[in-house]
Amino acid sequence: MNDIWRAAKLDFSLVKPYVKSICFTMVLPVVFAAVNRSLLTGISFAMCFIAMTTGYTFSVTEKNSMERLYGILPIRKSDMVIGRYIFIMIMGITALIFSLAVHPVILTILGESISAFDHISAAVIGIFLFALYTVFQLPGYYKLGSIKGRVFMYIPVAGFLITLLFLTKVPVGESRLLFTVIHSPVLLMLSTVILVIAMYAVSIRVSIQILKNKEV
Amino acid sequence: MKLIISNISGIPIYEQIKQQIKSAIMSGDLQKDETLPSLRTLAKELKISVLTVTRAYTELEQEGFVQNVQGRGCFVLGQGSELLREQLLCKIENSLSEAISAARVADLSEEELHHLLSILMEEKTDE
Amino acid sequence: MNDYLEVKNLSKSFEGFRLHDITFTLPKGYIMGLIGPNGSGKTTTIKLILNMLKRTSGEVKILGFDNIANEQEAKRNLGVVFDSNYFSDEWKISQVEKSVSAFYENWNTQKFSETLKKFHIQPSKKVKELSKGMQMKLMLACAFSYDAKLLILDEPTSGLDPVSRDELLHILSEYIEDGEHSVLFSTHLTRDLERAADYITYIRYGELFFSGGKDEFLDLFRIVKGGREELTADLSKKMLGIRNFSTGFEALVKTEDLKQYAHLNAEPATIDDIVVFTSKRGEPYE
Repeated sequence: MNDIWRAAKLDFSLVKPYVKSICFTMVLPVVFAAVNRSLLTGISFAMCFIAMTTGYTFSVTEKNSMERLYGILPIRKSDMVIGRYIFIMIMGITALIFSLAVHPVILTILGESISAFDHISAAVIGIFLFALYTVFQLPGYYKLGSIKGRVFMYIPVAGFLITLLFLTKVPVGESRLLFTVIHSPVLLMLSTVILVIAMYAVSIRVSIQILKNKEV
Repeated sequence: MKLIISNISGIPIYEQIKQQIKSAIMSGDLQKDETLPSLRTLAKELKISVLTVTRAYTELEQEGFVQNVQGRGCFVLGQGSELLREQLLCKIENSLSEAISAARVADLSEEELHHLLSILMEEKTDE
Repeated sequence: MNDYLEVKNLSKSFEGFRLHDITFTLPKGYIMGLIGPNGSGKTTTIKLILNMLKRTSGEVKILGFDNIANEQEAKRNLGVVFDSNYFSDEWKISQVEKSVSAFYENWNTQKFSETLKKFHIQPSKKVKELSKGMQMKLMLACAFSYDAKLLILDEPTSGLDPVSRDELLHILSEYIEDGEHSVLFSTHLTRDLERAADYITYIRYGELFFSGGKDEFLDLFRIVKGGREELTADLSKKMLGIRNFSTGFEALVKTEDLKQYAHLNAEPATIDDIVVFTSKRGEPYE
């Protein structure tokens, strides 16, 4: 566990010089939420944006050929990978908390009323979307690196566009199961948490396997 | 004690160290029971390999000039007549080798060289 | 624990290159030079030791620990210097310490700042502001701060000026002075090793040519020189490498064959001579 935490901290030190520009990407979703008058859209947009910055750690590593540093540190490759996932998740959660704190304030000023349920469903969907993007991104970056794997940076954009369609087009009412889950906060949260954990478990395994087979 | 290493003399470095320590002992620069510089320190200071110094010290020990006491260093054993003789023999060999080289250049045959040596020795006894 | 690095029958196949059956041992307290022309397999060997490449077969032990089965224990005692630094450009030196020290339980902060001072590196500088020589020293300072027992340097002197190269050699001889540390030093600038290395491992075209004491290595060969008419076909067959020129020739020969060349001028060979002459065999000499 210690090594995982150390790896996550090392990742943070890689990104530290770029924290300002990452924070800046969180401003635009606020505007987007205000224009659309929707917390859900704002949060979806925020998670899409923050997910687009997950390549930073890989870029800095690649730019400085730091795979050599990772190659000599006394740490298991699996801990290194899990550490990076933890760091990325912390990034996502930070963005989510920031957005959940700021967007409703703006929306309330604009005269929208935001219920507790709106908060919860936005949070749940935010977490789910971020997980959905990153579980594909990270193995992609591990496999191809951040330059060749640039295409993975755009996964969130594609995902975001699909979400916009999905949110308006899916006839929720037709599926009873979906209906029950979406309208019960407890079920909604529980099923999302289970789903997210399962997705990350698979993704982490794949990434570890990729890194173990990688020759640098 | 003075130790100077030449990179262009063509003499192996361990040999240079040996010769200089020997002549320091012969000349009394290094007294009986004095210790030689520590192997690793000497290597560091002369910027040479530890193994090279080890070889020089080991051979000096085998030839009876010094004694290595585990953990305490290398002690000078002093100038016994046996050693002195050996050292002189070495000197003779070197001078003779030099003479032989010169004879080759001068195209002197072996007999002529022997002859020259006999004449010189007679002159010396005459003195 | 007397052998700090044991490499046994190490092999690795790539497309178009093969490192085959490399075996050598580095005892504690000594400096070993890993030599060979570019592309001969030096870096591949080092990356295999570091488990950055996957070996096809063989065995590597660092301070007795298997480099794969006990990778973490092996790497705790290992310091590595590459030809360029492996830190983030944007890091300040103090950040380098923060990021790296966490991984070593025995990291000594005082030792780190002392070493920086000794090397004249300002902790407030960024990595990218350091010269190449300084970056090399920074990597060394890190390794010294967790008292790495084995130091592996991969072409550390390429691109360094003579002053920095000399400093490095001095630092390394200080490092092994207590007899508790060892150095594996890969380079194609063999002059650096001529004096300071205790052992030589020479890899040529992916195969081990020699591994053993440096003096012993140098004793194995001599350079002979002579006029062109003195070079018979019989003799040239026995020579390990010849360079012909209009007024004569130079050749590398085995010391044990020296009596066959009694009519020629013989002199000791340098490591460079040996590498140059033995790496050209089979190519036309003009």
